[in-house]
Amino acid sequence: MSGNNLPPFAEGIFTGDGTLVELVGSRCPLCGAQHFPARTHCPDDMAETEAVSLGGSGTLYSATVIRTKPPFGLPAPYAVGYVDLDAHPLRIFMLLDPAHTEDFRIGMPLALKSGALGVGLNGEPCIRPYFTPTLKD
Amino acid sequence: MVAILGVGTTRFTQKIERTIVSLGVEAARLALSDAGLAPTRIEGAFVANALGGMLFGDTTIGQTLLRDVGLRRLPIVNVENACTSGSSALWLAWNAVSAGQMEAALVLGVERMCVPSLGLINSGRTEIDTLLGLVTPASFALRAQRHMHEFGTTREQMAAVVEKSRRHGALNPNALFQRAETIADVLAGPSVADPLTRSECCPIADGASAIVIGSDRLARELGAGVRIDSVVLASGGYENPADLARWDTDTETAAAAYARAGIGPEDLDLVECHDAFSIAEILHCEALGLCAPGEGGPLAASGATSLGGRIPVNVSGGLISRGHPVAATGVAQIAEIAAHLRGTAGARQVEGAKVGLAQCMGGDLAGDTKSCTVAVLSR
Ligand SMILES: [Zn+2]
Repeated sequence: MSGNNLPPFAEGIFTGDGTLVELVGSRCPLCGAQHFPARTHCPDDMAETEAVSLGGSGTLYSATVIRTKPPFGLPAPYAVGYVDLDAHPLRIFMLLDPAHTEDFRIGMPLALKSGALGVGLNGEPCIRPYFTPTLKD
Repeated sequence: MVAILGVGTTRFTQKIERTIVSLGVEAARLALSDAGLAPTRIEGAFVANALGGMLFGDTTIGQTLLRDVGLRRLPIVNVENACTSGSSALWLAWNAVSAGQMEAALVLGVERMCVPSLGLINSGRTEIDTLLGLVTPASFALRAQRHMHEFGTTREQMAAVVEKSRRHGALNPNALFQRAETIADVLAGPSVADPLTRSECCPIADGASAIVIGSDRLARELGAGVRIDSVVLASGGYENPADLARWDTDTETAAAAYARAGIGPEDLDLVECHDAFSIAEILHCEALGLCAPGEGGPLAASGATSLGGRIPVNVSGGLISRGHPVAATGVAQIAEIAAHLRGTAGARQVEGAKVGLAQCMGGDLAGDTKSCTVAVLSR
């Protein structure tokens, strides 16, 4: 999927494009807590946070295929899951690769990609990140 | 101590073309007449509605509809707290009566949502998770997948929740679904979000439920014998990583309600819980301590949660068969428990019921619930 000139579905969620994509989170300079999506301030001590890359790899914690009418122009069916990130102890909700909808199993290693996928709040085509099964070497 | 003085619930249905006001007025009249209390003796009202603002642009409907039942010149608060809107209204009313601010209060939950403009239910249109495709059935499908993975819970055990729910619903004249459905039928239905089939997801409905609560003194005057022993309202903890197979917020809210009521799960005669999906009832049974963590699947399949079993769960039919008019549900659960404690539940009566518990949950944030309520009632 190409879509280099399309806008991201939301600002400040991920960087890069295609197969080199990393999630953006925030880190609290006082307590070290990390959050995704990024927050401007740590909810525990109100300190202003700094941006931190959360990397682009993880392990699948749980996944489902949604077979009802999809929102935001997503494909029918489409897969979503919770992913444990490798770089930080965070479990995040994310779309899963539409080219592998039926292939996801708990415990799989995953890598982040991005591409044109569905539409945004105002119906405009946009780029979304999604995890795909890591290719075996 | 706060008592339940009267209850009233409308039929839950998808077929009627009635306004929110007409539904709410019917439930309020039923509850007032059941209590035997003149409207002028109600000193405050808490009116729950979750979707009227979004679907119809109807706001502050409490004042609009209560004017029609003679409730004027009193404090009226409109309440929105997702699926716990109704039980949160009860929490507010219980606090007001407990504090001596009012002798009697009306709690009303009303929803009209069976309209074409109702889209997929999510937890806020601009949330990042929503924009990434998270819809409510998926939240619970992801829990189900994890529960199956960790505890060996089976699809048949989850379908047993629905089979039992349909048997109960058939005994409730107010329930939306009143026909039997086998485990095979449940599993043969179309998948909404794997592994949950359509029958494992609660249906939307229109309906209203109301209760009148009041002081000890008023309960003695009216001969009302059902007490509210505790009502706990809590928001989520939103810890990361979230454990989707064990629900801490649920467990902790239940523990607080048990502690305040001075009872434990072994003292319960019946439970109404927020079975928005089959897996939800399994998770709630575990959180409420009706079985050990991870044992909710076998519990459902054992028949223990059926009418006549060790601990009947959702004898009303629950959300899955009674239907889920969002803000009415939390009040209808309380009305159901009260009916059993008074011995007026008809064909689905839990014989000799003395203690009951109602659990409700609403909203979805960071793999947790936004709101959880647990109430303990006794006679
Ligand atoms: Zn901090």
